Parts: sequence; C-alpha cells; structure tokens
Amino acid sequence: MIFVTIGSMFPFDRLIREMDRWANDNRRYDVFAQIGNGDYIPANMDYVRKLSQSDFTYTMAKAEVIVAHAGMGTVITAGQIGTPLVLLPRIHAWGEHTSDHQIATANWLRDKPRVFLADTDADLSRAIQLALQTGKDGADRFSDKADPAFTNRLRTAILDYMR
Amino acid sequence: MSNSRIMAIASGGGHWVQLLRLRPAFDDMDVFYVSLDPSSATDVPDRIYYTVREASRKQKLGFFIAGAQLLWIMLKERPRVVITTGSAPALISLILAKYVLRAKTIWIDSIANAECLSKSGQKAGQFADIWLTQWPELAGDGPDKPNYWGAVL
Repeated sequence: MIFVTIGSMFPFDRLIREMDRWANDNRRYDVFAQIGNGDYIPANMDYVRKLSQSDFTYTMAKAEVIVAHAGMGTVITAGQIGTPLVLLPRIHAWGEHTSDHQIATANWLRDKPRVFLADTDADLSRAIQLALQTGKDGADRFSDKADPAFTNRLRTAILDYMR
Repeated sequence: MSNSRIMAIASGGGHWVQLLRLRPAFDDMDVFYVSLDPSSATDVPDRIYYTVREASRKQKLGFFIAGAQLLWIMLKERPRVVITTGSAPALISLILAKYVLRAKTIWIDSIANAECLSKSGQKAGQFADIWLTQWPELAGDGPDKPNYWGAVL
C-alpha cells in the first residue's frame, strides 16, 4: 500500500490531485490517502478525511512508501519506522500553508536516507519510483527518543524547579 | 504539601510526535499529558491524558473554549512545571501557568521552524522561563532570542 498524507491542518489539493492521476497512470490500486478538508475528491484511490493519531501511526507502519507534505509529524514517524518517504513541500504563495517553512524542512532533508524530495509536481513520479526501488528497511531507522544530551539538560532543569 | 506534577502539552501531529521524543526528560516523574486527539492516549498508557479543542489564533471562540478547558485542567492538576513543543493551545497554557499557577514554563519551538520561530513561539518568549529553538541559527543571548539546547532529531 502507498499512503498519501497531507497532515490534518490545512488542505493540500495539489498533492492529492497529482497522486490521483499517478495512481491511474500507473495502475496502482493500492493507494490510500488522507485528504484533510480539501475540495478535490480522488477518483482512483481510497481516501479518508482524517485518521485518528493511532490509526495514522498504524497506517504509516503498514505502508510500503509514504507520499506526503513536508510536515514534521510525517517525517519523524516515517524515520522511526524506516519507511521510504516522498515529500512535496507546501508553498506559501499558493495558499498551501501560513509560511514557507516546509521548503526549509524539505531542503534540510534532501540528502537523508530514505527521503525522496519532489521540488515540483513534475518530480513526483520519479521520486516515487526511487522510493519503491529502495524499499523498507529497519536498519537505519532512528530511535524514538531525542538526543540524550538534550533530554538530560531538560531533565536537570525540571528537577531544579521541583526543589 | 507541595506536589511535583508536570504538565506536558502539545498540539496534534508533529508537535505531539516531538513531545513524545522528549519523554526521557520527564516520563518517570509525576507527569500528565494534554493534546488534541483522544486516540493519542494510547501513546501514553498509565498516564492521565486530557484533550482540549484546537485553538487557532484567528478563531476567537475556539481560543476561548480551549482556554477554559485548560484552566479547568490546570486548576485541578496544579502542575509545577509546564513543558511544551507548541502550538497555540500550548501558548495559552503557558500564560495560565505563569499568571494563575505561578508554575515554571518551558517552551520548545517545533523543529519545523528552521528559518524563524512560529508565531506562537515568538509570543511564548515573554511567558517561558526556558525558551528554546531547535535551530542554533535562531538562538541568541539577548532576552529577545530563544536559547538552543539541542533538537528532537
């Protein structure tokens, strides 16, 4: 299954429309999308408006490849389970988010393992192809905890406040 | 008489995922959690978990309802420390912590904000005892700049 997700805050019809077309062109009948409150209704893939947080995690874990906006919830969860991730960042000028921070996120992730960036719609198909070839691998997934140096410092500060 | 309760709060999606990654900082303490999605309770078994409604800064009514829910939770639990990874509802909880409970407050701006702090994060500066960005480029020494202690990734 290929899981398409655009988070839950704002619609992202551009990605949903592109993936609907891609599913049809490539005869993939196992594409499933979380479309949020967008206006575009997919014709060639199953969809849901919004998954609960736990269903989201479950669906992420089952997916062969994840195609998503460049949101940190998706990025971190994909990294923790070792699933290849295709990212199309939201663009502020097109009303897709409140700022261009997803472009910054995408650039930061550009050369990370198992991340395939689509800077434009035209790059999506190739990025998905690469992601499918790469496949899942738990070997280089990252831990579900932050850097201990960071959490230890927070911990010390909290304990200090408790005195 | 003094309790040592910690409130860990985050909006849904990326904010919540980042808060979970920080758990080694407080998970064995007397912590309770607050977020938006009822199903997130499964991420923090054996802990008290509350939900509040989404509060965007643009939507006055939602902001007011979330504020009332947070006030009720915080008066009931009386945390001494509030720690958060954002966003808008968390900012309300920081203000309540500061002025109603006189609790200590820790704001960790989302790692998504690599080029400038979130709007909530900018406002949080005046209510946070510890005010952090996850990007060293955004940190500074003056009172108008957050500190950098590390990142969730």
